[in-house]
Amino acid sequence: MKRQVLFPILGIILIVGGLLSWSIAAGNSVLLGLDLEGGAEVVLEPAEDTELTGSALDEALDRSVEIIRNRVDGLGVAEPDITRQSNRIVVQLPGVEDQQRALEVVGQTAELRFRPVCATLPPMPIETDGEQTGDNATTNEGPVGLLPSDADDLPQEGPEIDANQDNAGATPEGIGCENLGFTQNDALGMPNTIADDDIAENPVILPVLDSEGNPYQRLLLGRTMLTGAALETADATFAGLEWSVFPTFRSGEEGIDLFNAAASACYNRQPTCQVGQLAIVLDGVIESAPTVNTPYFERDQIVISGNFDQTRAEDTALVLRYGSLPLEFGDPTDPTSGSRVRLVSATLGQDSLDAGIIAGIVGLALVALYMFAYYKLLGVAAMLSLAISGTMLWVILSWLSETRSLAVTLAGVVGLIVSIGTSLDSNVVYFEHLKEDIRNGRTLRSAVDQSFPIAFKTIFWANLASLIGAAILYILTVGSVRGFALMLGLASILDLLATYFFLRPAVKFMGMQNALQNRPWLSGLPVVEKEEQK
Amino acid sequence: MNLLKRMYRNETSVPFSKLWKPITLCSLAVLILSIGGLGFRGLNLGLEFEGGGAWEVPAENIQAEEVRDALRPLGIADARIQTGGGVLRVRTELSKVTQNALDSGGESDPIVAQVTTILAQITQQDESAVSVSTAGPSWGEEITNKAIKALIVFFIVIALYITIRLRWEMAVGALVAVAHDIAITVGIYALFQFEVTPPTVIAFLTIMGYSLYDTLVVFDKVRDNEHRLSNAKLSYTEIVEKALNQVFMRSVNTSITSILPVVSVLIVGSGIMGAVTLREFALALLIGLIIGTFSSLFIAAPCATVLRNKFGNADSDKRSYRLSEAVRRRSKSSVPVAHSTPSNPAIPPRPRKNKRR
Repeated sequence: MKRQVLFPILGIILIVGGLLSWSIAAGNSVLLGLDLEGGAEVVLEPAEDTELTGSALDEALDRSVEIIRNRVDGLGVAEPDITRQSNRIVVQLPGVEDQQRALEVVGQTAELRFRPVCATLPPMPIETDGEQTGDNATTNEGPVGLLPSDADDLPQEGPEIDANQDNAGATPEGIGCENLGFTQNDALGMPNTIADDDIAENPVILPVLDSEGNPYQRLLLGRTMLTGAALETADATFAGLEWSVFPTFRSGEEGIDLFNAAASACYNRQPTCQVGQLAIVLDGVIESAPTVNTPYFERDQIVISGNFDQTRAEDTALVLRYGSLPLEFGDPTDPTSGSRVRLVSATLGQDSLDAGIIAGIVGLALVALYMFAYYKLLGVAAMLSLAISGTMLWVILSWLSETRSLAVTLAGVVGLIVSIGTSLDSNVVYFEHLKEDIRNGRTLRSAVDQSFPIAFKTIFWANLASLIGAAILYILTVGSVRGFALMLGLASILDLLATYFFLRPAVKFMGMQNALQNRPWLSGLPVVEKEEQK
Repeated sequence: MNLLKRMYRNETSVPFSKLWKPITLCSLAVLILSIGGLGFRGLNLGLEFEGGGAWEVPAENIQAEEVRDALRPLGIADARIQTGGGVLRVRTELSKVTQNALDSGGESDPIVAQVTTILAQITQQDESAVSVSTAGPSWGEEITNKAIKALIVFFIVIALYITIRLRWEMAVGALVAVAHDIAITVGIYALFQFEVTPPTVIAFLTIMGYSLYDTLVVFDKVRDNEHRLSNAKLSYTEIVEKALNQVFMRSVNTSITSILPVVSVLIVGSGIMGAVTLREFALALLIGLIIGTFSSLFIAAPCATVLRNKFGNADSDKRSYRLSEAVRRRSKSSVPVAHSTPSNPAIPPRPRKNKRR
């Protein structure tokens, strides 16, 4: 008999303990939201004058999410979270150190650029022995390295900021690949161009990635010859035997004419485009670098073909379409733009977390005291049950953190603290039922058995109502409200499980102890007085 | 002492039905005051609702005037400046932030960055120690709209849920109670001009969940009693009153266990440790929890009772009688103790494999 009760208790403790050790062994830990860890949150809303609507806007937003993700990867943020919420893009960068920089990186508008390929380089920079130094920017033996970004804004002045380049002069004038200011040989030793130096008017060196994302070569690209603004649209179609991309340019000087100028330069292998390839670059990523096969194109008769599979072709078409109307976002530091920013310093985040944890511990202690004072040993059982559901909550949260990068925010912490109280509600409902039954003349042993199903029914339906509320909140709202709802919902479910699988056998076990039956003051249950019994 | 003892032993016999009328009137008065407060004073809306910029930086011993002087060159000397709790807070209106963004025309840093720099300087810290947030008015509006939408769906779903599970009168009672709780909490926020932030909205939403849990526990007991006491020739009001007395201690206890952690958040977390965001949650929760417990006993129950007395028809009584018959038949084998009968035949009793000795 005793074994039958002890078994489920030990079972549940083993299961929960096992899960906890699994969680610890797997190295799962709970991610902290940026209001607790510090970091930056930027919400971007398309600028009001955007011409995009409907599916075009949709596509552009999806594209922007990818672009921002690419950029953020370069920031070295551990768990960046970039999501779309209807027409907004929410970028969360917990723990990012240089917040101002994060702001700049995230907020830029991506531009699609057509750059001529000047040379193909091996995937890694090679140390060249004769590093050139000299101020003569007009010869091919020019300064080493690409020019710092501010050189573009202020082309007349020499760069004052970038200390690495002791010899950088003004940007050499020229189109495409001509007059780069350094030799191909120099380029071999130069690193890839970083995002800050990726300026339309400067040459760049960018990696070409294979299907696994590893660089297999690098391309030295000349100055931008035309941008996505010249494009009208693009499609991917299965034509002939393979997938091809069909871009359509705008007519006139700002459209097809620009493209044809570049195309003829490449076709004729002019110095501006010696290799004959015109690379399509979006936000520092080479999407494609097709060889130009004719000097002149009709604006809607252009085919980019060669080794595209369906996905590649569609992706490239998407890039071109997006590039034709890049999405501009409102300035996050101008609140009327709809975009907004939140930078939380790590200190204040930590303070909030500490305050939350300490308040939680104190709250827990108060509740434990109260439960013990009121329900004596039953209160201890209740706190154990709470410990079980709390441990499970930790396991689930850390698992969700690990797999879904769910971060616990301050709202979540408060949800957690609130759920301490609501979880104990169930225990109180059961205990009060128990007391009532005993007052009505039952023995402890039979009351324990009899009152549980009835109490559990009440607990079940009331928790179900809470769960419905949490689910509705979760589905219909966003952001921190969701985290809060999730926490309450999880707590409701775990509360039911802990009550059923732990509290019930635990109280039953207590009910069997003779020591307890003889000392009602120990159990917190009422003494059945003689006159109350029939 | 005697009362406490009786409470502990659940032997209270509070004449709830007699209290209903005066208490409902009081509640009504508070409600009117709340709505009046909302109408006349309006809510003190936070940054996320009004738009603007806000800065927070840890700072000990700094005078508001000092900060104000430092901010004067930027034209935002009228910013709201709060010190205390070891944290300096500055908040300024939307128009100031925007105006400056336009004035600077990209030449200088936007005002947001300038204020950050100044605050870092006067508190002698790195700029990364300053927390900044900017928001347009649309953000809070959107959260509120979503919350209201969630609230409406919630009301409908819960109304259906209670109607199916219990009675439609109880559904009305529960929803009236929830609405009452939210209205009074919002009213208190208006009257005392507490700041309303998105966490506050979340807390309002939680209140409804909590209030409902409590109300359902009460109604479940009423429903139980309907079955048990159906041949005792008690009026519905008496049945409800009995149920309320039975759940009274339960209600008080569940409230205390819920309120204690919230009080701890309010006093320890926000009061002693100075985490303002915690206060934004905890205050609304505390008010809501207290009112929620109260409304389950004094709003939801009388509301359902009055409706039931007025509209209760033979059909539903018959249904209820049939249910109780079914229950009685099924539980015949068990020990005939008045309180042991499970009320809902839909839930079979837990099968007992081994008979108790």
